Amino acid sequence: MSTWQATMAALTALAAAVAGFAALSLAVDRHWEALHGRGSDPGPLRRRLQGGGSAGLLVSLLACIALKGSAQGWVAWAGMLTAGAFVVVLMSTYAPAKVPPLAKAMAGVALVAGLLAAL
Amino acid sequence: MKEGFRQSMAWLHTWSGLLVGWLLFLVFSAGTAAYFRDEITLWMKPELHAAAHASVPQTAALGHAQALLAQRAANANRWFITMPSEREPAVRASWMPAKKKDGAESKPRGRRRFESAELDPVTGAELSAPRATRGGDFFYRLHFDLHYMSPLWARWMVGIAAMFMLVAILSGIVTHKRIFKDFFTFRPAKGQRSWLDAHNVTAVLALPYHLMITFTGIVTLMFLYMPWGVQALYPSQDKFFTDLNNALPADAKPARQPAPLAPLAPMLAQASAAWEGAPVGRVTVNFPGDANATVLISRQSGRAIGYDQPTMLFNGVSGRPLSSSGAPGAATETRSVLYGLHIARFSNPLLRGLFFLSGLAGCAMVATGLLLWAVKERQKHAKALARGERHVGLRLVDGLNIGAIAGVPIAMAAFFWANRLLPATMPERPDAEIRWFFIAWGVAALIALARPSRRMWQLLLAVGGVLFALLPVLNAMTGGAHLGTAVAEGLWPVAGFDLVTLALGIALLFAARRLQRPAAVRKAPVTQVTAEAA
Repeated sequence: MSTWQATMAALTALAAAVAGFAALSLAVDRHWEALHGRGSDPGPLRRRLQGGGSAGLLVSLLACIALKGSAQGWVAWAGMLTAGAFVVVLMSTYAPAKVPPLAKAMAGVALVAGLLAAL
Repeated sequence: MKEGFRQSMAWLHTWSGLLVGWLLFLVFSAGTAAYFRDEITLWMKPELHAAAHASVPQTAALGHAQALLAQRAANANRWFITMPSEREPAVRASWMPAKKKDGAESKPRGRRRFESAELDPVTGAELSAPRATRGGDFFYRLHFDLHYMSPLWARWMVGIAAMFMLVAILSGIVTHKRIFKDFFTFRPAKGQRSWLDAHNVTAVLALPYHLMITFTGIVTLMFLYMPWGVQALYPSQDKFFTDLNNALPADAKPARQPAPLAPLAPMLAQASAAWEGAPVGRVTVNFPGDANATVLISRQSGRAIGYDQPTMLFNGVSGRPLSSSGAPGAATETRSVLYGLHIARFSNPLLRGLFFLSGLAGCAMVATGLLLWAVKERQKHAKALARGERHVGLRLVDGLNIGAIAGVPIAMAAFFWANRLLPATMPERPDAEIRWFFIAWGVAALIALARPSRRMWQLLLAVGGVLFALLPVLNAMTGGAHLGTAVAEGLWPVAGFDLVTLALGIALLFAARRLQRPAAVRKAPVTQVTAEAA
């Protein structure tokens, strides 16, 4: 794997972890209500947020394994999850309105970087 | 019954955490810094910042080292050559000087002083001897040997603290009722609520790391804590470690017949080829110039998680391979992987950065846990305290909290300042640097215990922040590669040190500033605490 590909794979792993956790956070009542008002409910969207969020974390794992192999990949994943979750916590606290755009932007970054790494 | 169980776990969590919290904070801080042990050492030897960074075939670098050792240490019993790596640009050649003529050893085995020289791998020129310093090794040792005390006692203390930590983590998981619901929750400026959130977030988000580092930390010293298996099978621990590390027996003897040492470079090439081209980390020559000379070559770390690296042994006179380490057994391999995970020498810069981040989260978890105890206790006795009554336990915990959480950054910064301000050639220099660490910490802790107040937090955090934030300036003014040149020349270990210390310093100053705000909160929220963790 070239340095370029490795950088792209690492970027994919981090962006997918941030996007995944951002989506998962929106499926939690407290954070959804922070955006859409007290008592509001994501309804059927909740399942999709959870599904999409989990998929993001899975993509992050695959990128880590592609980057560091099947042993160190898991170690890298644990670290990426920690880093990604901290980003989401800080965003939900200090800029909650930016969490949905963050999720979309990071999903886009993960997609592009993932394609670039695979090429 | 269930509620009873949870309550008893909460009690266990509180007291197992509080009793060893201050020691754990030191261990976590020093251990986290130790991830960048080599980088810290390089920063603390500004004489080496100018070393060439062009890569050169390992065989060439080894040739230079052999030439120097043959000239300088022909009579030594052992040579050790550490090959250059991405993290340590110079070749280090060290040797153990020969015994005195009468055969008596001045110090017990393992305590004799090594002598060493560092070479430019490209030209083979000896680098101007850098100032003597313990560098990052000080933090590494500090995090399990402590200091000014017997390492054996220290390791038992740290081991017991680690065991308490493991208990605190597991009971904490049971106590935390809303792990998933509060996964992303941090509510700042809400007093006790905020501290609990910060404690939960730093604990839960890096939970795999916290469990791993605590458990594997105990595993690294398992032969000390549980020696009985080894004692049952081996006459001595030395013999056991010789077996475990695939090293030469400690009682190997020279033939006392001179024989020229074969060139080392072809042996290195052979070993590297056997490891699919992986670079060599270390070359040990036993009895150079003797008919019984042997050469032990081990692989550079960075390939696999495991701590034990494969080795090859060569006859030093003929240059022929004698043996190579076979595949380790399951138990050896398990220990090797757990050990390797703890010290993370396999990591590339990305992984090391993630370990460092998780380590900071660990410091923050311990710090917020300690603060939480004080915040809760203060609330319990709010009325009595308002009447002006004194609460000795609370006052003590407050003082220790300030002394540890705000004091450790000051001590670390003082260590770095001493490195640059003490005369480069002063005798016993490494000990003097370490003395600065403890004097700075001692002073901070004493005044904190004397007046544990909000002003004291502010003062000490600000002092630590200024000392940390100015380290890049100090580096530039005392002969190191300053940020501009370090970045331009791709000297990332030095540039990274400056950038990270600058960021930590700013974070500490930010924390001190936040404390000025006369809000309902008594102390600073999460970002600051992460910073204090430095």
